[in-house]
Amino acid sequence: MSAVLLPEAIHQDLWRGNQLARARSRVVDCGDAGLARELPGGGWPRGALTDLLVQQTGCGELRLLRPALGQLASKPVVMLQPPHDLQPTAFAWWGLDPTSLMTVKAPRTADALWAAEQILRAGTCGALLFWQNHVRPESLRRLHLAAQASESLFFMVRPLATTRDASPAPLRLAIRAAKDGVDIQFLKRRGPARDEPLFVALTPSPILNVKRNATVDPRPSPVVVPRSVPAEVVA
Amino acid sequence: MLDKERVIASDAAARAAGVCIGMRRGGVLTLAPTTLMRERDGAAEVNAVREVATGLLNLSPQVVIAEESTVLVDVSASLRLFGGIRSLRRMARRIADAIGVTAAISIAPTGQAAWLLARYQGGAHLSHDSLARGLARLPVNLPPPARRHLDWLTGIGCETVGQLMRLPRAGLKKRCGTALLDLLDRASGDAPEVYEWYEPPPTFQARVELPDRIEQAEACLFAARRVVVQLTGWLSQKQLAVTRIVLLLEHERGRDAIEPTTIEVSLAEPTWREDHLVRLLKERLTRVELAAAVIALQLVVQEVREAEAASDSLFPEPGGTASDHARLLELLVARLGPENVLRPAPVADHRPEVAARWVSVTDKTKYVAPAADTPRPTWLLEAPIKLLMRGERPFYGTPLRTVSSGERVEAGWFQGEPVTRDYFVAEADDHICYWIFRERIGAVDDDEPRWYLHGLFG
Repeated sequence: MSAVLLPEAIHQDLWRGNQLARARSRVVDCGDAGLARELPGGGWPRGALTDLLVQQTGCGELRLLRPALGQLASKPVVMLQPPHDLQPTAFAWWGLDPTSLMTVKAPRTADALWAAEQILRAGTCGALLFWQNHVRPESLRRLHLAAQASESLFFMVRPLATTRDASPAPLRLAIRAAKDGVDIQFLKRRGPARDEPLFVALTPSPILNVKRNATVDPRPSPVVVPRSVPAEVVA
Repeated sequence: MLDKERVIASDAAARAAGVCIGMRRGGVLTLAPTTLMRERDGAAEVNAVREVATGLLNLSPQVVIAEESTVLVDVSASLRLFGGIRSLRRMARRIADAIGVTAAISIAPTGQAAWLLARYQGGAHLSHDSLARGLARLPVNLPPPARRHLDWLTGIGCETVGQLMRLPRAGLKKRCGTALLDLLDRASGDAPEVYEWYEPPPTFQARVELPDRIEQAEACLFAARRVVVQLTGWLSQKQLAVTRIVLLLEHERGRDAIEPTTIEVSLAEPTWREDHLVRLLKERLTRVELAAAVIALQLVVQEVREAEAASDSLFPEPGGTASDHARLLELLVARLGPENVLRPAPVADHRPEVAARWVSVTDKTKYVAPAADTPRPTWLLEAPIKLLMRGERPFYGTPLRTVSSGERVEAGWFQGEPVTRDYFVAEADDHICYWIFRERIGAVDDDEPRWYLHGLFG
């Protein structure tokens, strides 16, 4: 009997439906072992569009990417169309270098898409984060193609309402806030479907680190009992 | 096209109507009354040839403006740099197209032979053998010294240059002078050639008059290419790179003169590359609103710098070079405007809205590293949102629960905008954390504590 030829032995791009796609070299470590086990290749993919669907701005999407941004060796990180102003101090607190940050605002959607494409085609930036609520699928495909020619990380941050829209992104994650971290739901990945969300703890937590003041001891002071001083002390 | 009341050039439609070279104005009008006739403009022709010569400086610094609207380029030293004679010819053709002229391009081992071939139909003869065959086929009236003796030459049945070269040299010298023999010797490579190379002016200024009034700025791009090609030729001859150029769009003169529209392109990284300059101008031109129709275009160079040779490292960097990134930034600034491409420039201040300062990438403000031990949320709202109160607790979607002790920020009194706030981290029921502050009681008139949302933890 000859051995059964497994599909993964034929070519590294082949895998079974119940397996995760194999490691390509083009990933950036995501900084969490549990998440790395569930991501194809074990990290955030370079040169591909990754969809992050967030519950709302501020649910932990940037802290999720913090380990990856730290590994880009101070290559420029471009924030395109951010929903609010970024605080450079926050990045310094995380231990990242704020000088590599860059914010690009575009007055119109067409300008934003153009800027994203130019940034990806130039390939000089370590990561591109692009906030856009409504993008047409053909524009997304165009950006995905542009991303494939580069070595940058490329994340599209969109609201959860766009979950049902078609997207060419090989990896789509839904992010919801949880206690001390986020719950990640895998909407689409190169691997088996996983319905239950994955909890990823995020550091630094805003709650723990803000308490820098000395904690006040809430215990009541011992009641002074008169004449309780030992006789030898008095003497 | 008329010169001294005689037709010297005509297009296909005119030829179809029967117009031929040498006809008088009256004859043309009889044949085709609707023909558009223009006088030959000698000065414009000289100008166009000079523009082509400046553009061809891109290929080689050795350019000669020869007689009869011909430009000779010595490309023997540039063959390897530009990847062979074919790609050089393509580049020459592209330059001629950008300038807007129709050119016959010829290649020959000697300049005189290239001149003769270009004056006839163009063509490439790379070896001396094929050159001899090519020269032999040319009509005898092509070399200028032979034209005076054309009657005699046709009389003896000599119709091509090949037949002319076979005539006895002594007799030819006696009848036609030495000029003709010298020219033929130079063409076949038997005599040396001496040229006075074209020296471009020390300052660059190019002006193009448009063939028609142009209402849209984008349509000026073809004319802009025409001046940019000359600019790059000038730059590569002078070994300079440009850091600031100004494109002036001259307007039609209405009742009173209109100031020309100025498009200033300043570059962080000096460049001499045509494609980059054209892309920048294109993005700028799409944003310009014209006050009136444009009739002419002028390119003025304001700042130049010595060009630095590109360093070719053995292993190219995967992420592109720093100059690639600078070019990307310039491109983004050109389309989106400098106020939309920002870099952080934090200020040492306790007020978060002052500390989180972003300046344009073109701004030269010095970067001061922020304190690394101050916990701050990543997102800062542009204006704090006043929170509703439900009972004693602030409410934003769900009631907020304060989960940290306060951080008091009290600053700005020295600028007349006192800020007295106590910042807290609050958690909503869905575990999202918010950065909220309370205006200190007593700082405002009413006693109600007022809560505001100011930041989000990304």
